[in-house]
Amino acid sequence: MRYLVCIKQTPDTAELPKISPEEAASGKLSVNLVVNPWDEHAIEAGLQLMENYGGTTGAVTVGEEGAIDALRSALAMGCKDATLVKHDDEIDAWGVAELLAAAVRHDGDVDVVLTGQMTVDGNSGAVPVALARKLGWPVLTGVAKVVELTDDSITVERVVGQARLTVKAPTPVVVSVIKEIGEPRYPTFINIRKAARVKIPELTAEELGVDVPAPVVHMSNFRKPPARDAHVKLFEGTPQEAAAALIDALLEEKVL
Amino acid sequence: MLTLIEKLIFAVLVLATIYNGYWAFYKVYLVIRRGQGEPGDDDIKKRAWNAFVNWVTLRPVWKTRPVSSLFHAFVAWAFMFYFLVNFGDIVQGYFPIKFLGEGFIGNAYRFIADVLSVAGLIGMTYFLVRRFLAHDPHLEFHDNIRLHEKVLAGGLKKDSLIVGLFILFHVGFRFLGESFTIAHEGLDPYQPFASAVSSLWAGLPDTTLVFWQHASWWIALGLILAFIPYFPHSKHFHLIMAGVNFLTKPERPALGALEPIDFEDESIEQFGAAKLTDLTWKGILDPYACIMCNRCQDVCPAYTTGKELSPSALEINKRYYINDHVDKLASGGECELKLLDFALTESAVWACTTCGACVEICPVGNEPMFDILHIRRNQVLMESDFPAKLQTAFTGMERTGNPWKLSASDRMNWAKGLDIPTVDENPDFDVLWWVGCAPAYDMRAQSTAKAFARILKEAGVNFAVLGEREMCCGDSARRAGNEYLFFELATQNVETLNEVKAKKIVTTCPHGLNTLAAEYGAFGGHYEVIHHSQMIDDLIKAGKIRPKKELDATVTFHDPCYLGRHNGIYDEPRETLSFVVSETVEMEHSRNQSFCCGAGGAQMWKEEEHGAQAVNMKRYEEAVETGASCIAVGCPFCLTMLTDASKEAGDDGLVVKDIAELVAETLS
Ligand code: SF4
Ligand code: SF4
Repeated sequence: MRYLVCIKQTPDTAELPKISPEEAASGKLSVNLVVNPWDEHAIEAGLQLMENYGGTTGAVTVGEEGAIDALRSALAMGCKDATLVKHDDEIDAWGVAELLAAAVRHDGDVDVVLTGQMTVDGNSGAVPVALARKLGWPVLTGVAKVVELTDDSITVERVVGQARLTVKAPTPVVVSVIKEIGEPRYPTFINIRKAARVKIPELTAEELGVDVPAPVVHMSNFRKPPARDAHVKLFEGTPQEAAAALIDALLEEKVL
Repeated sequence: MLTLIEKLIFAVLVLATIYNGYWAFYKVYLVIRRGQGEPGDDDIKKRAWNAFVNWVTLRPVWKTRPVSSLFHAFVAWAFMFYFLVNFGDIVQGYFPIKFLGEGFIGNAYRFIADVLSVAGLIGMTYFLVRRFLAHDPHLEFHDNIRLHEKVLAGGLKKDSLIVGLFILFHVGFRFLGESFTIAHEGLDPYQPFASAVSSLWAGLPDTTLVFWQHASWWIALGLILAFIPYFPHSKHFHLIMAGVNFLTKPERPALGALEPIDFEDESIEQFGAAKLTDLTWKGILDPYACIMCNRCQDVCPAYTTGKELSPSALEINKRYYINDHVDKLASGGECELKLLDFALTESAVWACTTCGACVEICPVGNEPMFDILHIRRNQVLMESDFPAKLQTAFTGMERTGNPWKLSASDRMNWAKGLDIPTVDENPDFDVLWWVGCAPAYDMRAQSTAKAFARILKEAGVNFAVLGEREMCCGDSARRAGNEYLFFELATQNVETLNEVKAKKIVTTCPHGLNTLAAEYGAFGGHYEVIHHSQMIDDLIKAGKIRPKKELDATVTFHDPCYLGRHNGIYDEPRETLSFVVSETVEMEHSRNQSFCCGAGGAQMWKEEEHGAQAVNMKRYEEAVETGASCIAVGCPFCLTMLTDASKEAGDDGLVVKDIAELVAETLS
């Protein structure tokens, strides 16, 4: 079996609110970059598949040279190999899907492609679906659990609103996972050291034999939501007094 | 004097004992050498002197249990003196002389031997009664503590009985032997006790007396010969190994300062301790020195609140494991079992608050805490198997430079409107203030930072903070076993501190104090680091601030582990308090025997392990017992833990405040 996890390098969630619209628009961020937190769950899912059903899990990303760091994190978590699809120019979800699809085909016989449900910066959530479209494979989104993987099919539990569906699809397949799939594991130092020594192969669109479509989605107005006048009030006193004061305050604010 | 045939037999037995004893002792050496690292040999004279003083005066024993310590001293001093006595007896057995003669020295020698023999017998009887008749609860373990099967089967009692009887018979017969000699040769005013006993033998024929003289000699010294090869197997070995422990104990800049791991060394394949032989050599020497007294267990906040951890059980289990596998270990064989299979449970590993109480109290210089930290390193760096909640703290420290995982750019939020100079704004500062993550990010602890800022400004101190360039000091990472993360934070922080040319640093957190003062040295960071309570004390004494003694409150000071026990700072916080509050009282456990608040050792970032009580509640109850109305602290984590306890206790909970807050309140 072969599993390929598609990841993206994004700012850390804690730093997102600190990024200015100008910074975001230019794409040159000064904050710490990490593996997109949703994708960490996808890596975890890939590693679990490897442990439960055998085979190897690889990671792939589309990005600039610096995205190598995200791949190293994936290796440190336990992925067996990693590939950087180098791309420096502006790109949208459709373009990313094009490149990833080419990378998947280039990889060979991939059974399951895994992704996070979205990225914390772009937030479109479109890549898994677009990728499946490009590959012509089925896509399973909102996956909370892999129930079974056989040579030609996968059974998963999807969370849809309040419901949980158990669905089966033929492989190869694109699976986008949600948090419930499992907490991303913390890398051991041995793996960090191993990951640091690995030479990560780089591919370009040219080498993959694809043309990156010009972005169809453009950001026209990049701005922050207006700062809200939020304030914190702590209620002192015994739990009873504090609760009473809290209710008064909520009534006053017409929340209740 | 012995007969010729006796002399020959004894000489043969001595040779046999030397042979057996040599191998038994040499094996111990080989086993200890299986541990990691090398004993330091710096300043050997000082070490030797220190070890000798500790050994003779039993200085570390007296810290607690005064009655047992006294009786122990009787036995210990008797035994020490018996090194001479046994030698003297052999000399007298072989040559027709009185050892050391009958002048002043000889008389003094016989007098001391007489008194110490009786003292030793009394002492030993006390211990046998304590264990076998009084069933002292200090010698028991809670049911949830992992113990070696031989310990469960009564191994400690058996060993204690063997050692006890050996001492009683060895000292007893030597003493009786003297009484027979006195009955035979006439009263000796310098041996009052033996002389008194000798009256019992009045009227016995000379031949009987001579027979018993010889028999006593043989029993007393024969027991020594028989016991020597058993010695390294028994806990009585502590008599020697305690001295060895003090002689070789690493000099540390603070009680719990850890050795860094060389992450650049590609040849290292094992990080931290999975097996016994992954521990340091000291971690293997310790169980040999352990007298299994459970003093460490008595003071352990994890044990006394019902967690699965007992530092003494850890040492005892190691010792029984070593005894079971001594040949294999000595010959370089691999241990099959992991420490977590026999020495302690996983929950025990994560229950330690790294308070250092076990290290401080141990009469033989053992350091159980370090084993636990080395095991944690293995769990994190090799196994990635640790309490789930710690991961948030780890990723926080890694990515945003603080364990809360709050944005690095929010680090100065606490200082808004206070005009706190950063190093960029005031590069020519005299004092660098290391604020610390908790005073910067934790809402409650921020008022400590604000109060201290006010004090510094009032005193006109030329200070600066690192602002957003300050990262977590890494203490929580290190104590949680994530040495790699600590290495990264320490490297980064030292680089920043050196770049801004920090010389004198004040911290508003004892964990920062310990890390910067005692642990950054290994990373090239050498600074004069003081705690904010020390700085406030200095400022008051220098007349830079004049707090009014107007706080009408009875205050009890809770010694933070990393300020007190780990770094020996006890007086300044108390002095500072005495300037501002009307009355101070001490808790039952204070100063070097203070009781942890429960947050140290990265406990702050995880759920407390399962036990009978929360550590912070136990400490809080002690504070309540003093009758104080306010608990003064000097650590943001103690502040959180004791505030939580106070809230938990309900309506009239004690006020918990940092020293800086108390002082700032009295500034006009
Ligand atoms: S350091 Fe403290 S909590 Fe840890 S074992 Fe020692 S006494 Fe117990
Ligand atoms: S480690 Fe020290 S304090 Fe603990 S039982 Fe052994 S000798 Fe006693």
